Amino acid sequence: MNRIDTLPPEIELAQLLQRCAARDSTAFKALYDKTSPILFARLLRMLRRRSVAEEALQDVYVRIWERAVQFEAHRGRALAWMVTIARYCAIDLMRRERMTLVGDDALDEIADESAGDSTEKPNNFDFCIGQLNDNTRKCLTLAFVEGRSHDEIARLTTNPLGSVKSWIRRGLLSLKECLSSERQPT
Amino acid sequence: MKTSNRELLDRLAAEYVLGTLRFRARRRFEHWLLSPQVGALVKAWEERLAGLEPRLEPIAPPAAVWRGIETRLKLRKLGRGPATRYLAIAASLLFVAMLGVFAVRNWDGTTVTPPPVQLAATQKAFIEENPETIYWRVELLGDNRELKVHVQKAHDLPPGKAFELWALTASGTPVSLGLLPTTGEHQRALTDAQRAALSGARQLAVSLEPAGGSPTGLPTGPVLHVAPLSPA
Repeated sequence: MNRIDTLPPEIELAQLLQRCAARDSTAFKALYDKTSPILFARLLRMLRRRSVAEEALQDVYVRIWERAVQFEAHRGRALAWMVTIARYCAIDLMRRERMTLVGDDALDEIADESAGDSTEKPNNFDFCIGQLNDNTRKCLTLAFVEGRSHDEIARLTTNPLGSVKSWIRRGLLSLKECLSSERQPT
Repeated sequence: MKTSNRELLDRLAAEYVLGTLRFRARRRFEHWLLSPQVGALVKAWEERLAGLEPRLEPIAPPAAVWRGIETRLKLRKLGRGPATRYLAIAASLLFVAMLGVFAVRNWDGTTVTPPPVQLAATQKAFIEENPETIYWRVELLGDNRELKVHVQKAHDLPPGKAFELWALTASGTPVSLGLLPTTGEHQRALTDAQRAALSGARQLAVSLEPAGGSPTGLPTGPVLHVAPLSPA
């Protein structure tokens, strides 16, 4: 089984993307084969409905093909670049359709899922996210991982909308400040 | 940029990346992404928040998804066989021959006689809503010496407005390539400044401007489309 901790090597993905930029459709298929299970899982996490996620996956790969020339190979991070395209695609769809996708049971899963250790995190990310209070961390995670709107987060966490908005705003600021400082986990 | 503006933009960039902007706000913010400063803010937030990416077990999508992608990209005439390619070459030779016979009206209203030499297309871009809805096909000919624009599908144009085409240079500064036509196929020579801008450009953009074009030399209206330049 292709587990996420055996991700395709970044350098290989970057090379495939460069070949896509030169309109090499064989490279595009190879890229699709290596990455589509990862992106499909990510889309399903946000969109929930298989049929919607399958449609979105097509949009994502059309965008990847179209935007391959914009990928900056020297910066690496090929998978992160593709995952971002997938996330934005799902968010666009959810905001446009104002989709209400799941029941409230997702909240428990989210709590222990949090951030994976296979992604390219800033060095002191775990320390900085750990500095936030539980409410703030939960709000940020629901927004980023699930693509939830402010209103949905307020409903799911049974908190006032104003509190949710201000936790998110303050949480983002604290995260930025912490990540830019030299503090490391002790 | 004023500090307060920078702070506001940084906050919007953060919520754009997080995904909490509402649809209209998200769309509006995307118009600003062409600005190198805003692009840098977004990129920084993408890197900061990457740590929130969840660890998920991969799930293989059904084969129909790939077939759908193939079909959509074939609409763009990808992977053309040799026969169609020769037909395309023959069609463009015919077009060049016709240009030799007729003077064409440029889209800024002046009448120009097309150049006698045939230049090969070196780069192209599709200005589109999605792969099924392509508005303009733009080709750069003979090492960016000339620009050829084909209107594939008429784009809605509010009265008193015009579409302006921009080269997005490596530094992020847009350089105008002139107004876009609303019908037909047009070709014209590029200036040295436009050629220089295109030599480092990887994308074209289209903005909505007052009739006659941007009064400032930079986009003033919303950026409607951004398209990658790819080898022809």
